[in-house]
Amino acid sequence: MQNRFGFKDFVLLAVVLAVGLLVFLSMIQSDRGWDRLGDLQSKLDEVESRLASSGSGDLDDIRRELSELKTAIATRPININLGGVAAGGVEVSTDGWNAQGASNSATSTSGKRDESWARVGVPIDWQEPWGFASEPSEVPGFRRGGEFTEVFGAQPARITPYLSTDVYGRRVIDRVVETLASYDPETLRLRGILADAWQFDPDGRWLRVHLDPKATFSDGVPVTSEDVRWTFMDFIKNPLIEAERSRATLDMVEDVKVIDEHSVEFVFNKSLFTNLDYSLGAYVLPKHFYSKFEPAQINQSTGLLMGSGPFRVENLDPDDQWSPGSDIVIARNERYWGGGVPPLASLRFKVITNSLAALVAYRNGEGDMLTPSSPQYAELKGDAPFAADNAIYNWLNMRSGYSFIGWQCGPRGGPGGKLTPFHDERVRRGMTMSLDRDRMIRDIWEGIGVVATGPNSPTSPASSENVTPWPFDPEAADALFAEAGWVDADKDGIREYQFDDGVFPKGTDFEFEFTITASGETSERIVSYLKSQCLKNGIVCNPKLVDWSYYSEMLKSRNFDAMIMAWSASAPESDPRQIWHSSSILDQGDNFTQWDSKDADGFIDGGRNTLNFEERMAMWHGLHEVIHQGQPYTFLRVSPWIRFVKRNIGNVVTHKTGLEPQEFFRAAAPAPGN
Amino acid sequence: MLGYIVRRLFLMIPTLIGITFLVFMLLAMSPGGIGASLRVSGGQMESSKAALVEAYLEDRYGLDDPVLMQYLRWLGRISPIKTGERDLLKPTGGLVRPPKALNPPPLVDSWFSDFKLPEGKVAEIKATKGPAAAGTAVGREGESPEVIEYKAASKNYAKARADYLVSKKELDKALVRYAEKSGIEGSIKDGKPQMEVFAALPPDTKAPNWNRVRDAGLAVLEAYENAVACRSREIAAFRNDPYPKDGVPVIPGVVSLAMPDLGVAFSRGRPVKDLILDALPVTLLLNFVALPFIYLIAVPAGMLAARYRGSWFDMSSGAIFVAFWSIPTVWAGVLAIGYLADNQYLGWFPVAGLHGNTADGMSFLPSWGDQGFSMGWVVDVLWHIALPVTCLVYTGFAVLAKQTRAAMLDNFNQDYVRTAKAKGVPGRDVLLRHVFRNSLLPLITMFVTIFPAMLAGSVVVEKIFSIPGMGSLILEAINLRDRELILANTFMIAVVNLLALLLADILYAFADPRISYD
Repeated sequence: MQNRFGFKDFVLLAVVLAVGLLVFLSMIQSDRGWDRLGDLQSKLDEVESRLASSGSGDLDDIRRELSELKTAIATRPININLGGVAAGGVEVSTDGWNAQGASNSATSTSGKRDESWARVGVPIDWQEPWGFASEPSEVPGFRRGGEFTEVFGAQPARITPYLSTDVYGRRVIDRVVETLASYDPETLRLRGILADAWQFDPDGRWLRVHLDPKATFSDGVPVTSEDVRWTFMDFIKNPLIEAERSRATLDMVEDVKVIDEHSVEFVFNKSLFTNLDYSLGAYVLPKHFYSKFEPAQINQSTGLLMGSGPFRVENLDPDDQWSPGSDIVIARNERYWGGGVPPLASLRFKVITNSLAALVAYRNGEGDMLTPSSPQYAELKGDAPFAADNAIYNWLNMRSGYSFIGWQCGPRGGPGGKLTPFHDERVRRGMTMSLDRDRMIRDIWEGIGVVATGPNSPTSPASSENVTPWPFDPEAADALFAEAGWVDADKDGIREYQFDDGVFPKGTDFEFEFTITASGETSERIVSYLKSQCLKNGIVCNPKLVDWSYYSEMLKSRNFDAMIMAWSASAPESDPRQIWHSSSILDQGDNFTQWDSKDADGFIDGGRNTLNFEERMAMWHGLHEVIHQGQPYTFLRVSPWIRFVKRNIGNVVTHKTGLEPQEFFRAAAPAPGN
Repeated sequence: MLGYIVRRLFLMIPTLIGITFLVFMLLAMSPGGIGASLRVSGGQMESSKAALVEAYLEDRYGLDDPVLMQYLRWLGRISPIKTGERDLLKPTGGLVRPPKALNPPPLVDSWFSDFKLPEGKVAEIKATKGPAAAGTAVGREGESPEVIEYKAASKNYAKARADYLVSKKELDKALVRYAEKSGIEGSIKDGKPQMEVFAALPPDTKAPNWNRVRDAGLAVLEAYENAVACRSREIAAFRNDPYPKDGVPVIPGVVSLAMPDLGVAFSRGRPVKDLILDALPVTLLLNFVALPFIYLIAVPAGMLAARYRGSWFDMSSGAIFVAFWSIPTVWAGVLAIGYLADNQYLGWFPVAGLHGNTADGMSFLPSWGDQGFSMGWVVDVLWHIALPVTCLVYTGFAVLAKQTRAAMLDNFNQDYVRTAKAKGVPGRDVLLRHVFRNSLLPLITMFVTIFPAMLAGSVVVEKIFSIPGMGSLILEAINLRDRELILANTFMIAVVNLLALLLADILYAFADPRISYD
C-alpha cells in the first residue's frame, strides 16, 4: 500500500489542528479569567485598605452628605428619577446635591469669610463656586448614565498631563485634571475652580491663591496647597521630567510658597498680565500619586492621569496604562467634590483618522460627536433625513483660530535682503481689497466661517468692535497700487514700478512668490483663486508649494514674499508680542512678516504691563485698529467649530469656551427641540 | 554550508551600516534637517521661550552636535558590542548612562579670556556642588545610599545643565543686541549669532550693549563651572554603581555586550521599542491572517491553470486575478467602507479600529450566555479586520498565481515529465511530486520577500481603516523627520530583508540539490 497523504489524512490533520487551536485559545481564555479575578482582588484590597486607613472618615462624609441632603430636601422638592437605568444599574438623580452646593455657597457668602490667609491691603477676588454653565436636569428627557463617544481625527500621543503636547490629549486631560481657575463659558473672564479666592499683586509680582477646602482628588484625598507647590516646583520645574514646553511657558514663576494648608503664594520674576492666566491655568496634580513614580517612568508613560476633575481614569495601574491605538475611556468621578457631577457615566474617545471612515462610523452609531471635514459639513447641512437624527453646530468661540495671508513687510531673508512690493502699507491694503474674501469663504471653505479682521476671535473681549473688514473693491485697490507707484504703463497686462526712487529699478514688474504648504485640495483652490485674482489686477503670483518642515524654516529665516497660514487660539486673550512686536523680528520670533510699527509696539508694551482688565482691553482694541490699518496680514477667515452631535445627546450648549461634555446627558429617545 | 552562512552574516554588517548611513544622511540633508518637527514652535510661544524649548530639546536628543557625530552615537547605541563604561540598568527597566559631556562655553578664548570669576568662586562651587557635596540628599524608604546619592546628583546635574543652556541663550540674546547696534556684517543669521564671526573680531568694549554681553558672558562662565562640578559629582555617583550593570563584559572596562538600544522617538517622547511593540503585533496579525488566504488560493489556482492550460479555468482565473490586481486599494477600501460598512447600505462590517466599544468586557471565545450569543474577543477582532484583510488579499493573487503557472508550464515541457508519464505515473503524482517540486524555486524567492513587507505594513490599508500598525508609524515618522524612529525602522526592515535573502538562498539548496554553497 502506498503511504500517501490522501484526503482522509488531510481531514484528520485539520481536525487535530483545530482541536489544538481550540485548546490553546481556551487556555488563554481561562488565563484572562484569572487575570481579571486578580484585578478584582487587588481593587478589593485597595478599597479595604482605604476603609481601614481612613477609619470612620468616609462614614463621616456619608453622614455629612446625608444631613446636607436633608436640608436640601427641606429647601427644595427632590426629583428621584428611577427611569435612568444605565450600565451601572439604577441611578438616582442627585438634584439634591446640586441644590446643596448652591445653598452652601449662599450660607458662606452671607457669613464673614476667613481672610486670614490673605495679604493685608490688597483686595481679594472671591470666586463663585464653579457649577454647570447650563443645568442639564432642567432639559426635557434628562437621564443619568450612559456613555458618550467622541470621534477624534488624530491620535493623541499620550494623556499624561504636562507631557502631552497635542490638542486631543489636552481635551482628555481637561476633563480629568482641574486647574486653579478657568475661563467662564459665558463671560470668558477667569473664574476659580480649585481656587475659591485669589489676590493678585497690583504690580504683578505675586499671586496669593486660596484653595477650596472642599476640593478632593478622585481618590478622596483633599487638594492642598502642598499639591500646588509640588506640581510647580517638583514636577514642572524638575529638570529630569520632559515637560520642557510647560517649563518654558511657566518660567516666570520664581517660587511657590505654601502659606497654610489651603493657600499658596506664587512669586514671579517679571510683571506681566499673563502671569495670572498662566499660573491659574496650570493643572494641579496629586502629589501623593505622581510622587510614587520615578521621573523616567513619568517620561515614558502614556496614560498616567489622575486629578480632581469630574471624570477619572479607572485604571491607574502604571503597568497597564492606556496606550495609543485603543479607545480612551474616562468614567464619572463619583466622589467629585464640585458643583456639577456629570450625568454621563463615562466618556469614550475613539480615534478614526480617515475622515470618510469617521463619518460612516458616526452615522453607524459608533460615535456621538464628530468634527466633520468642510465638504462633509457642506454636503450634510441641508440634508433633511440627516438633520432629523443629528444636530449640526457651527459657532465661533474663544478657540476659533484664523487664517491669513502674510505679506513680507521687511527685506526678504532678513537684514540685507531685497525689499518686496509689500513693504508699502498701501500695496498690502490694495492686496486685501482686491481679494473677495466672502467669495473665498464660499468657494474655498464651503461657506464655513466669517471674514476675519484682526488677531482675536470676534468673541474675544480683545477684539475691537470698531473694525470692519476692508471691502472687496478692485477700483480702490487699483488706486492704492498706483499711489504706491505700480501702474501698467506699457499695457502688457502687468504693473511696473514707475518711480525712480531706487527702492526698485524703474520698470520692475509686480511679481511675487506665494509660499504655501502642500496640503491637498484647499491649498490648490487658494492658489488658483489668488493667482487669477492677481492676474486680473496686473500682478504675477508664482505659487511655491513646500512641505511643512521646510516651510517653518522659511518662516524662521523670513525667506518668502507672501505666505498663507493659520493661527489657532486657546484662550480669549493672548500675548500679542510674539507676532506683532518689532522686537520679535530679529530674535526668531513669530513676526515673520517683519512688520515694524511703532504704534503697535506702543500698544503691545502698554497692554502687557497693564494688569487692569478694562484698560488692557482698550490697549488691545488700539492694537487691533493699528493692525487693521497696516495690514501686514490679509485676514481671511475665522474658522468656527463645527460639530455633528446625535440628537439623543441632551443639553449640548455651544459656549464661548467650546463645549462642556460634563453637562451632556444621554436621553433614552432623541430629545425634541435639541 | 555553515561557513557560508557565517560569511553571509558577517557581510551583513557593512551592508547595514551602509543602508543606515545613507538614510541618515538623506534625513540630515532634507530641508529643515533632522528634528524639524521639534523646531515648529508650539503655537504663539514667546520667542525667548520657544528658543529655550528648542535648546532644551536639542540638548536632550543631541541635535546640536555635528551630523556625523549623531550618526556614530546612534551606531554605538544600536550595536550590541559596546565600548567604554557600561550602562546601568534600573529595576524599572530604564537604562542609566554615564553623564553627558559638556560643550565648553563659547568665546572663552577670544573674548572672555580676561574675565575671571571672583577669587575663590570656583573652589566654592566645587565644594558645594561637586563630589564633596555627596551624601546630603534624602531618599525614599528602602533605597540604598548609592541610589539616593545618584538620584540627587543626576537631578543636580540636569538642573545645572539646563541653567547653563539658559545662560548661553541669554548670551545669544545679548550678542544679537550688540551686533544690531554695532552693525557687524554677517554676524546674525536667522536670528542666531554666528560665533565664528564674533570670535574672529576683537570685542568692542565701548559699544553700547557691551556691558550686557560681558554680564551674560560672566553668567555663562559661572553656569559652566557649576555644571562641571555637578557633572563630576554625578560621575562619582555613577561609578559607585547604584544599579546593576547592563550587559556582559568581554574585556572588563573596555568592551562589553549588551542589548541594542533603539532610543527615544522625539516626535512622541516615547521609547522607539515601545512604539514598535505597540504597532508590530497589529501589522503581523493582519498579515498572518491575509497570507494563508493568498497562498491557499493563488498557488492551487496557478497549478490548475498550468495543468489545464488554455481551458476556460485558465482564462477566467487569469482574467479575474489580473482584474483584481488592477483595482487600486485606496479605491476599493473607500468603497468597502462606503457600502459594506455603512449602515445605510449593507452595514455588515465595522468601519475602523480593531475592537468594538464593548470589547473590554467580552469573554475571550464566543459564548452563549443570559443575553444570548456573545461574539467574544477573538471573533470581534476577526470581524474588525475582515475588510482590511480583504483589501490586503485581493491584490496578491495575480502575481503569485501567474508565477506558479509559468514555473509549472516550464517544467511540464521537460523530458523527465514525459518519461514519468510514459512509465505510467498517475497524473496527480506527476503534478505534485515532479512538476510542483521543481517549480518551487521562483516561489521561494517570492515567499521570502514577504517578510520585510510584512514588517513595513501596508500604509494605504492602515490609513483607510485607521489601524495603528507599522505603516502608519513609519509614515508619520517620515513626515515628522523623527530620526530615531526612521532609523530604527530602516534598521529593522534591513535586517529582516537581509535575513530573508539568506533564508531564500538556504532554501534553494534544499529545494534543488544541484545548488550547493560549499
